[in-house]
Amino acid sequence: MLVTMTGVRLSYGRWPALDKINLEIRQGEFLVISGPSGAGKTTLLRLIWMGDKPDSGIVEVAGFRSDRIKRRELPQLRRKIGIVFQDFRLLHSRTIFDNVALPLQVTGAGNRIVQKRVISLLARMGLSHRRNSFPHELSGGEQQRVAIARAMVAHPFILLADEPTGNLDPEVSREVVELLLEINRGGTTVVMATHDPRQVPAGKGRFLFLDKGILRGADRWTELDQDS
Amino acid sequence: MSILQSAVREIALNLHSRPGARLITLLMVALAFIVFDTFLIISWNLESIMDKEESLVGMEVFLQREISTNEGRVVGDLISSMSGVQSVYFVSPQEAEALFRAELPGRTDLLDVMGNDFRLPASLQIIFTEEAMSQGRISDLSRQIGAIAGVEDAVYGEDYLPGLLKTVTTIRRLVILLGIVLVSSISLVVFYTVRLSVVRRSLTVDIMRIVGAPWWFIRVPFVIEGVLMGIAGSAGGLAMAAILSEVLSTAVTHRFMPMSWMTLVILLGAVTGTVGALAGSYEKER
Repeated sequence: MLVTMTGVRLSYGRWPALDKINLEIRQGEFLVISGPSGAGKTTLLRLIWMGDKPDSGIVEVAGFRSDRIKRRELPQLRRKIGIVFQDFRLLHSRTIFDNVALPLQVTGAGNRIVQKRVISLLARMGLSHRRNSFPHELSGGEQQRVAIARAMVAHPFILLADEPTGNLDPEVSREVVELLLEINRGGTTVVMATHDPRQVPAGKGRFLFLDKGILRGADRWTELDQDS
Repeated sequence: MSILQSAVREIALNLHSRPGARLITLLMVALAFIVFDTFLIISWNLESIMDKEESLVGMEVFLQREISTNEGRVVGDLISSMSGVQSVYFVSPQEAEALFRAELPGRTDLLDVMGNDFRLPASLQIIFTEEAMSQGRISDLSRQIGAIAGVEDAVYGEDYLPGLLKTVTTIRRLVILLGIVLVSSISLVVFYTVRLSVVRRSLTVDIMRIVGAPWWFIRVPFVIEGVLMGIAGSAGGLAMAAILSEVLSTAVTHRFMPMSWMTLVILLGAVTGTVGALAGSYEKER
């Protein structure tokens, strides 16, 4: 199991953001976590990359346990995880090439490896011609593809996508979801948090519904779809 | 590229980014330091004035008329060996008369009235050590000197000296107190200014965290920026204070602060800048 959550609870102040979370994510899985705003989707992803630790319960990711991991070990874990955000989070003073190369540079990867890997990923994302541009010169869809390239550049075994289509129009959103599915077909586990699970075609992944911090299980989105 | 080379590249990129925001931070630090530097210049000059005033405080010991010059010098040697005495100068009757005529030219008729045989008494001018004055030992010394054979009278500014010394002591204490307040406030201003400039770039810290950069890789560029910002800001403040001092030098005679004080000012800038940068990066890294 790549990710295991057992009896996880996390509160911000007096309000529980997540409660009674028991979850297992297998290697190579495409997991869609849906739910309304404030349901705890982002918090769940933060627990996976250990941006937060649970108040109670245990999160285990690739052998790193939340109750045992040391502060100096956090970078080692995060190098195995790729993260994509709704707001892209690109460094605006750096070129597209430098943004994508960042995860390799912080590990001290050699120049030749960085060049090869970044150029190949940019080509795969259809962004080769943009390598010397700056983020503000790109469209939203292109910026999100850069963010995905940055998340994938260090060969992570899990890609966390937090509302990756939240700032994109429907056409570009479809392209981004298709890109995530393609990454998953390559063997990388993908966990996508979204308020609209219908973006991912049925049968292409496992669907979980989060409501007020509690996992309600699969197929909830289908019920919602039928309700609407 | 090694991780160290990457870190150096990060430092260079960090220093090149957002020049406008950096300039504003630098100006704020420099302006804060101008206030502090002005205070230092004032206190440095005040200290010099007080030192000079203190050095002028002394005692005049009048010797008995029948004492010869040699005996008078022996008394002088005896007094100069006393603890708290810095120097003793023997004034002969002839020198005393010359001084009287030079300092009080309108009253020379008094000497003429006294006749040709009249001689002013020989005297000894005594300067005390700073320590003796600060400890209020002058009156004790006066009593001891007055008891020496051959001494007619020992005169010092017993009416104004205690007040002067008290005023000097009070001013020194006030300067130290004000200095502490200013050092504290300037440290806080620089600390928060640099910290804010780091926090403003929280996105960079966030991204570094999520891509798995080690803590030192995230912090070192900010710390170096903080050190440089503190040094440049304090040096800029000193430069502006020096210009101000030069402009005012014709109106108010004064001296700029000594090199040792300038070094301490720059050191203060470097330390507060570093601490501010560390605090800012730590706050965002958590």
